[in-house]
Amino acid sequence: MAEEKERESKGEIVQPRIGVYVCQCGLNIAGSVDCEEVAKFAATLPDVVLAQYNRYTCSDQGQAGIKNDIKEHKLNRVVVASCSPRLHEPTFRKACEEAGLNKYLFEMANIREQCSWVHLYDRASATEKAKDLVKMAVAKARLLKPAVEIEVPITRKALVIGGGVAGIQAALDLADTGYKVFLIEKEPSIGGMMARIDKTFPTMDCSICILAPKMSDVGHHPNIELLANSEVTEIKGYIGNFHIKVNKKPRYVTKDCSACGECAKVCPIVVPNEFDVGLAIRHAIYTPFAQAVPATYIIDMNSCLNKNGVVVCDKCMKACERKAIQYEMQPEIVELEVGTIIVATGADVFDPSTLPNYGYGKYPNVITSLEFERLINAGGPSGGRLLRPSDGQIPKRVAFIQCVGSRSDRNGRLYCSNVCCMNTIKDSLLIKEHWPETEICVFYVDIRAYGKGFEDLYKRSRKEGVVFIRGLPSEIKEDKKTRGLWLTGENTLRQELYRMNFDLVVLSVGLESRKDSEIIQRLLTLSRNQDGFFLEAHPKLRPVDAATGGIFFAGCAEAPKDIKDSVTQASAAAARAGILMAKGKITVEAITPIVFPDKCKACGLCTKVCPYNAITLNKDLKRIEIAEAACGGCGTCAAECPFGALTQGHFTDDQIISEIDAVTEYDAEKKIVAFCCNWCSYAGADFAGVSRMQYPSNVRIIRTMCSGRVAPKFVERAFARGAAAVLVAGCHLGDCHYINANYQTQKRVERLWKKMEQSGLDRERLQLLWASAAEGERFASKIREMKTLVEKVKPEEIEKTKKAFEKALGGA
Amino acid sequence: MVATKTIESKEILEELLDTEKLKYCFECGICTSCCPVAELLGKDYNPRQLLEKTILDPEGTMVSNEIWFCAWCYSCHRHCPQALKLPEIFLRMRAKAVEYQQHGEPLNSALRKIVQNIPLPLIATAACFHPERANLEKKKILEKMEELYLEHLKQKKMERAQQVSEGKVAVIGSGPAGLTVAYELSMKGYGVTVFETLPYAGGMLRKCLPESRLPKEILEKEIGIIKDLGVEIKTAVTIGKDVNFSDLWRYGYKAIFVGVGAHKSQHLKIEGADLQGVVHALDFLWNINLGGNTDVGKKVVVIGGGNVAVDAAKTALCKGANEAAILYRRSKEEMPAIPWEIKEAEEAGVKIELLTAPKRILGENGRVKAIECIRMRLDEPDESGRRKPIPIEGSEFAVETDMVIFATGETPDLGFLPSQVELNEDGTIWVNPLTMETSLQGVFAGGDVVTGPATVIEAIRAGKCAARSIDSYLRLSGRET
Amino acid sequence: MPERIKHVPLDIEKVKPPRAEIHLIKNQCKGCGYCIEFCPKKVLEESEEINARGVHPPKIVNEDKCILCSFCSAVCPDFAIFVLEKKQEETKK
Repeated sequence: MAEEKERESKGEIVQPRIGVYVCQCGLNIAGSVDCEEVAKFAATLPDVVLAQYNRYTCSDQGQAGIKNDIKEHKLNRVVVASCSPRLHEPTFRKACEEAGLNKYLFEMANIREQCSWVHLYDRASATEKAKDLVKMAVAKARLLKPAVEIEVPITRKALVIGGGVAGIQAALDLADTGYKVFLIEKEPSIGGMMARIDKTFPTMDCSICILAPKMSDVGHHPNIELLANSEVTEIKGYIGNFHIKVNKKPRYVTKDCSACGECAKVCPIVVPNEFDVGLAIRHAIYTPFAQAVPATYIIDMNSCLNKNGVVVCDKCMKACERKAIQYEMQPEIVELEVGTIIVATGADVFDPSTLPNYGYGKYPNVITSLEFERLINAGGPSGGRLLRPSDGQIPKRVAFIQCVGSRSDRNGRLYCSNVCCMNTIKDSLLIKEHWPETEICVFYVDIRAYGKGFEDLYKRSRKEGVVFIRGLPSEIKEDKKTRGLWLTGENTLRQELYRMNFDLVVLSVGLESRKDSEIIQRLLTLSRNQDGFFLEAHPKLRPVDAATGGIFFAGCAEAPKDIKDSVTQASAAAARAGILMAKGKITVEAITPIVFPDKCKACGLCTKVCPYNAITLNKDLKRIEIAEAACGGCGTCAAECPFGALTQGHFTDDQIISEIDAVTEYDAEKKIVAFCCNWCSYAGADFAGVSRMQYPSNVRIIRTMCSGRVAPKFVERAFARGAAAVLVAGCHLGDCHYINANYQTQKRVERLWKKMEQSGLDRERLQLLWASAAEGERFASKIREMKTLVEKVKPEEIEKTKKAFEKALGGA
Repeated sequence: MVATKTIESKEILEELLDTEKLKYCFECGICTSCCPVAELLGKDYNPRQLLEKTILDPEGTMVSNEIWFCAWCYSCHRHCPQALKLPEIFLRMRAKAVEYQQHGEPLNSALRKIVQNIPLPLIATAACFHPERANLEKKKILEKMEELYLEHLKQKKMERAQQVSEGKVAVIGSGPAGLTVAYELSMKGYGVTVFETLPYAGGMLRKCLPESRLPKEILEKEIGIIKDLGVEIKTAVTIGKDVNFSDLWRYGYKAIFVGVGAHKSQHLKIEGADLQGVVHALDFLWNINLGGNTDVGKKVVVIGGGNVAVDAAKTALCKGANEAAILYRRSKEEMPAIPWEIKEAEEAGVKIELLTAPKRILGENGRVKAIECIRMRLDEPDESGRRKPIPIEGSEFAVETDMVIFATGETPDLGFLPSQVELNEDGTIWVNPLTMETSLQGVFAGGDVVTGPATVIEAIRAGKCAARSIDSYLRLSGRET
Repeated sequence: MPERIKHVPLDIEKVKPPRAEIHLIKNQCKGCGYCIEFCPKKVLEESEEINARGVHPPKIVNEDKCILCSFCSAVCPDFAIFVLEKKQEETKK
């Protein structure tokens, strides 16, 4: 008795009293699952003292009911069967805590995203599956332990990657709030794409005029440290405690530069200026544009004559009165400690030379919308006169072609680039403003003028006489004599073919993800969608958060967007980062490893697989030591330990095994046991649900934080208990949210395959899937594929497998 | 149409290719604007609308005559932002119509439209419209076509009797473009002379197209009809050798149409290209079509990815080769040949080795013995927009062969033209896309000589367009003088 | 900024690169070839002729390319080469 009391005082409860709540979610769940029957079934499960169903469990009413029951019925475990834990686990955990129940004594069964929504037309088997899912959750709940979360301090500094308008806004907002901000830009100056644009839609403000004050604020702000011409090379750590290495490339000009420009006058080298898309020249020592921040000049060593330390030409040095030029400047590695990171890396513009029909790059008078911006810009290479590149004449007839590089399956950019329609309308008005006589035709398929003030601008453009023709040209041909351009296409509203001649054709090019965004993705272990843009944690409710804690998105890095949206998102990201830093600390989920020192043989295997180097082997004391703050919580150490000396909090071996046992209690030979990692494959399965992709109902998903948590013994146990097939699913290799833990998954599955082959078993019954959070269809089709596999598995095979993995049955 | 209602439209739709993509067609009109048949038929044919109808009303589409107009040039597919394979979608509709016996009247009406609007209808039917692909008997359709054609001509000739136009026109080249110009202009009452280098008229039609695609008998018939209209065809006359280009003006020709095609094989400069057993595809096909006794190897390797390569490989198999393989250095999507032809060739047993380039040809006693190849990988798109192939070091391998056919592209041979006629970078003639007039006044051009190797229907389109321009040019200049 | 540059800069003709006048004192040259090797624009080449010291002095093959960096005179051990800027009036003629 005394022993029992002691355990109780530690917060452990001897006899579980479980309350089960089955949510109908309106008709979202009740539409294809008989919730009443599920609740009745739950009541029959061991230790369940209360089981009910209700309409919306997450409503205030529903939560109040749970709180009330905890007190009234002395519940010490709560199971809610409703939506994905990725959505509402925090809600219910909070409700439990408010009723005095430790939040780790709460468990969820996902019967919406992973049941009712993916089996819309099969009520009977959806209900069966829901029962199984509840049974699994109850089985796990019986073994749950209360836990206390540790707190980690947050460094009150932020890193902003990318110095376009989004990065500038985010940096200024954070700096004004009072946090120290490091702003990193890989180009010599901040400003990004907005600095190159002439006017902004829909207000027709001068782009650089409204951006330049912000840029100069960044340069002068006491809280902002600007690192231009720099790139992030390494990011380590976790939310609140990131360690960053930045490669600060040499400018070869010191801060003493007064930007007088005498150096550029004497530089003998002439190359195209990238800022002007090559429409103007610059020297090897240059400043990209007049308003550049920092204003310091820079030497482009690729074109400068002074290579490899040999000073061939020192004209700029001689011209510099302030002695600011240093040819021997070396790259510098800067180390930073920050608590939050905002990714504002922007987007690239589509290169239309991959569309041979439009002759871009071949015909001088076919230009992109970005080149147009530089041409019409008063500070641009032509001084604001829209000149034809072929002869420097002002064109009388101008055509704009929309959707170049957008909405096409041919080159893989399936999405609408969001800004090109309005940009073209703005451009057409700019031409009309300067040269009202110009005839302008816009060839489009849909005009998307959806924003505030956009329709007005569109109307204005039509009023000014801009002709909008529905139907894209199939071909542009150049007239060799006049350098004019013939456009051939169909006016699809009039169902007539057109052949029209223009002096200048502007291709309204789309935006695409940065070619080097893969590097940022790897460094920060982020996810990208199929179009290459970074994936937010939730498309509606967490639109600026990355799935990885402490990282936020702003601007076109997340999706193509206009300046207003970029700025809005930047301020949002700054606020989100600010919230974290204002708290000053963050609690770490109690999912760190638990050690049983008596079982530990100090072999050190766990230290080798830990992605965070959070486990160290103390050779003298023959034991391991865990740095909990550094632990990411993947649990791959627990899966690696051959002696059962390590397990993961809230995902213990016993808990996972109890779930496996619950699945395989009945009809195991028809079921697929799936282990999915929380971040990619479980989220992908959720996405399949949200998108209502239908797949067979014989799969039961067990959630782990990382696929690296899946110990071989889990798979073996599932087979030993007669499961037809097992699926292990994780993030794509290289995309793991725990740096590289999923490589361990791969190794373990390969070992299991070998074992199966040696025992004469069909290795196809164990499947490994890499699926990202955006790849719902990939998950669904895998299950469909496995269903046909399961149907072929013979009872003899099941028996044989049971025998082969007999050993795994012990110890539960 | 009531009878057709029994057919499940959903079933037809689902059988269609790329259904999902099809629904996403946002009607940009690119397919219609680059379709040569749509231009020839005007308002009667609009592939974009036909596609829309296919989705909304499959039964109605099945019995419309429009599904019979597609001429398999795949120009729409090459331009479509969604890369839809329209010809194959329409073929499904054709096959369905035939299956349900609903094709009779729509097909007849289609044939009548073709006769009225498309020059060289017999050739076009045999070489472009491919009724046999929808399980119809080609011969029967051709017979029907001939009947309609002769009827049409009879009527036209009566109209023409009243119409005589001033001016003589010289047509250089007797391929599909040249013949079309001759046909159209003589219909309008002009005197036309066609000059042909070879001893027989027909150009690529005779030289390259296998008998199975275009029976020689059909070609002869069509040429016969054109001669009947009063067109003079001078064979075995080479412009630039037998007659100077500039002399044509002196002979009284008021306008000249250049339709000499692209007959110059591009040479691949690799080791062993001069060995016995190495031939150029055009020479090979020409010899076969002449009925000459050409030695066909047992194991044939064709290098290239265009229609000529595919034809050469197929012909080699027909003429006794045991094996025929095509080597192409890019992937299948990049192959310039018509996808359907590739599919047919594969079905006939032609092996296609993608991402493979020849390195050198190995010989023994002056004869081809093997070809050494290297595997390629695709890099970022180059200036032409196609992904650039890059050799993979150390991936060389040898293939035994006794015949190597080069089909690595054909360009026009234009040495005879005066320098005022401007050329494009790739050696083709530049023309005003509206009028097909070259940079030299009174000289027009069309067909492969302008576009590079393309299909028969595209040449016919160009010919008709040029004929219209020549007509108005001659009228205008006639008025000025 | 990774966009491919497809057009010729509009103001390329406005920049007047300095015109050079390269002076060789041929008989002072000992044929070390430093000037040829180090010229960043490859303006010089070895000539066929033999000078008073019995070696091949350099010859100017592309004076237009010279950008007047004067590195040749800096590396020349024998002070046998120097570069002057042509006056603009002269170039106009």
